[in-house]
Amino acid sequence: MTRIVLVFLAMNALLLAQDTPPKNPAANNPHLGNPQSIRSGMALYRTRCADCHGLDAGGYRGPDLTAVLAGGATDERLFQTIRKGVPGTEMPSTTEPDDDILMIVAYLRKVGTVPASETPVGNAENGGRLFAAQCASCHRVAGRGGRIGPDLTRIGTSRSRAAMVREIRTPSEWIPPSFETVTVVTKDGQRIRGIKKNEDVFSIQVMDTRERIQGYLKSNLQELVYEKTSLMPAFPAGRLSDSDLNDLVGYLSTLRGADLTVK
Amino acid sequence: MRACLTILLCSVTVALSAQTGTPLITSQDLLDGLKDSTRWLTYGGDYSSQRHSPLTQVTPENVNQLTAQWTFQTGTTGSFQTTPLVVDGVLYVTGYNNNAWAVDARSGRQIWRYRRELPEDWKGCCGAVNRGFGVLGDRLYMTTIDAHLLALDMRTGGVLFDVELVDYKTGYSATVAPLVVKDKVIVGVAGAEYGIRGFIDAYDAQTGKRAWRFYTVAKPGEPGGQTWPRGDAYLRGGGSIWVTGSYDPQQNLVFYGTGNPGPDYFSGAREGDNLYTASLVALNADTGQLAWHYQFTPHDVHDWDSTQVPVLADLTINGQLRKVLMFANRNGFFYTLDRVTGKVIIAKPFVETTWAKEIGSDGRPVMLPGHLPDEDGEKTCPDLGGGTNFFSPAFNPTTRLFFVTARETCATYYGYEQTFKQGEQYTGGATIRPRDQKNFGALRAIDPVTAQLKWEFRYTLGNTSSSGVLSTASGLVFAGDGEGNILAFDSRTGKNLWHYQLGVPIRSTAGTTYMVDGRQYLLVPSGSALTAFALPQRP
Repeated sequence: MTRIVLVFLAMNALLLAQDTPPKNPAANNPHLGNPQSIRSGMALYRTRCADCHGLDAGGYRGPDLTAVLAGGATDERLFQTIRKGVPGTEMPSTTEPDDDILMIVAYLRKVGTVPASETPVGNAENGGRLFAAQCASCHRVAGRGGRIGPDLTRIGTSRSRAAMVREIRTPSEWIPPSFETVTVVTKDGQRIRGIKKNEDVFSIQVMDTRERIQGYLKSNLQELVYEKTSLMPAFPAGRLSDSDLNDLVGYLSTLRGADLTVK
Repeated sequence: MRACLTILLCSVTVALSAQTGTPLITSQDLLDGLKDSTRWLTYGGDYSSQRHSPLTQVTPENVNQLTAQWTFQTGTTGSFQTTPLVVDGVLYVTGYNNNAWAVDARSGRQIWRYRRELPEDWKGCCGAVNRGFGVLGDRLYMTTIDAHLLALDMRTGGVLFDVELVDYKTGYSATVAPLVVKDKVIVGVAGAEYGIRGFIDAYDAQTGKRAWRFYTVAKPGEPGGQTWPRGDAYLRGGGSIWVTGSYDPQQNLVFYGTGNPGPDYFSGAREGDNLYTASLVALNADTGQLAWHYQFTPHDVHDWDSTQVPVLADLTINGQLRKVLMFANRNGFFYTLDRVTGKVIIAKPFVETTWAKEIGSDGRPVMLPGHLPDEDGEKTCPDLGGGTNFFSPAFNPTTRLFFVTARETCATYYGYEQTFKQGEQYTGGATIRPRDQKNFGALRAIDPVTAQLKWEFRYTLGNTSSSGVLSTASGLVFAGDGEGNILAFDSRTGKNLWHYQLGVPIRSTAGTTYMVDGRQYLLVPSGSALTAFALPQRP
């Protein structure tokens, strides 16, 4: 009888444990924005994380954390990933105190976001109009716009003002992977220009300028041209004045994600 | 009386095995290596680690007809880094998270599965991988990620003995495929990113009792100990063993490449050459006594483990037959060593290297300035992944070509002081990839006498490969790129003859090959699946 009661209690305890929502210390992180905590978080990051994720959090053996942050990862997700690791990968779990992890999260928030002081610059309303006229045919925001250029829905959280200016004025200086320009020439002479989405020795996958995605076997091509210039046109001062650029960047800085959930 | 009983018991065991048809792998079978083409009995194919199969059914002329025959999905996470063993129609395979399987080599159907729970508090730098079984008698031997050595029953996967190499909680793990030599099982430990002191162990294959241990980090006061600072830095000195060595029966020596010193990047924590890290050690197989050593990278500060595969061959050099050991090192140099003396015969870069001008006549690298990682960072080629890494090379003794997957990469290395905490990562630095860096991988064929490149096949720009290489006597080489293809090449010219997209890039091995029922199979582990290829069956 005693045994039955004990088993029953144990089962109850188990059920209760399952019902309890997982602890989320990141919901109230006292270290966010605290310069001293961020410095400690940086030291912890350097010794525990940097060997895999790179000293600049830009990824090496492990993923690019700046991209993870720009992709909308919440502090809770960051905390739980550090705490539990990622099974089946090289990312280990840790038994370190919550406080250490929260300081690392605070540090990552610092490296992964654009300082708030940078954002309120220019006339965002005019910038929005410029964007609709000049950029939206290629770039998507919150599910609307073109697809040949990078999706800019969260660009305000992942690019500094200086980086945006550089990428608008001289877009060919650095072209992100998956957006490099190629032209494939088929054996029947058809020329298809677009961006390279993937490639190996035998095949290439392309989104053409009409946004059609298609793979090509290299053995079926007459020619494959890797172009050094981005499909994005450069916008020098003659084409986009300093003042308009300022407004455009002001608008882009307001793009910090969108909730596309159907309510 | 006891002796009589023992003999009687042994006879009974042999008789039982014979009755049940279970193969008994003898020490002679291991010495014979790939002579029996239905088998693949050691990590490197045979003790020389040439990964050169005598099979000739698949040729440069018909390889383009190779067709997938079956796929075995493990259903586990993580990528294979294993070399499956093949014994008389059955594959013995180890995988991620302490899993292992016996699989029908004809059909890809599972026969048994073994799984050992991974401790929740286990930590490791580079994934819960395993590189394969060793075999002797009717027993399989595997290391576990929590630093144990297991003996499993070949028929059932049941555990016969379980011995702890060292406490995993102190940062150690084990991933290496055991090397069975005579009556001993030789293994090592990983964990140089966690401040361990590495070692190579030999265990009695029957009892699991430890026969000898060789520390890869010399203690002050012992030979080599003067290459470490005074104090206890050597206790965190690294020197992992995570890739299987080779064996020369004539000299009775085993050869192992050793891992990086710890901490990886911060030079100030360990002034000196740091013996026997980033080295090749030649040990007596019976006693573990050091016969000679050669240090590839004295005082390494770039995480360049020398845990690549030492490949043995006898080569005629300047009219003289030499016993050599060939080694493509993570530091970017290819070496041909005399394996009797440990002296360098020739050493040249096989990828872009910026840290050393050359290997001097005294065998030491002639260093170039500006390659000591510090707080400000310094750019060095190759990157921490190295000119090559743990992926097995291959050697064709007929054409005398050494085949290796090469990586053309650079990195900015940072080094800084770090307080050691037992069981925590201890690297003393980190790296970043320069934004304009365009990495690429290539399969390269090197003449080991001149260390000159004979041919190469470049993979797509922007990605490197971690695939091993397999060579066959019909004149084929198999290797994988970084995009998920397994490719076949003409071994004399490097011409690509066949490929198949596996969906996940190969890590570590390029597969093995074996005969069953008169058909030659190519077996390729990639991701968490095994795929077997063969020529179409004629009606």
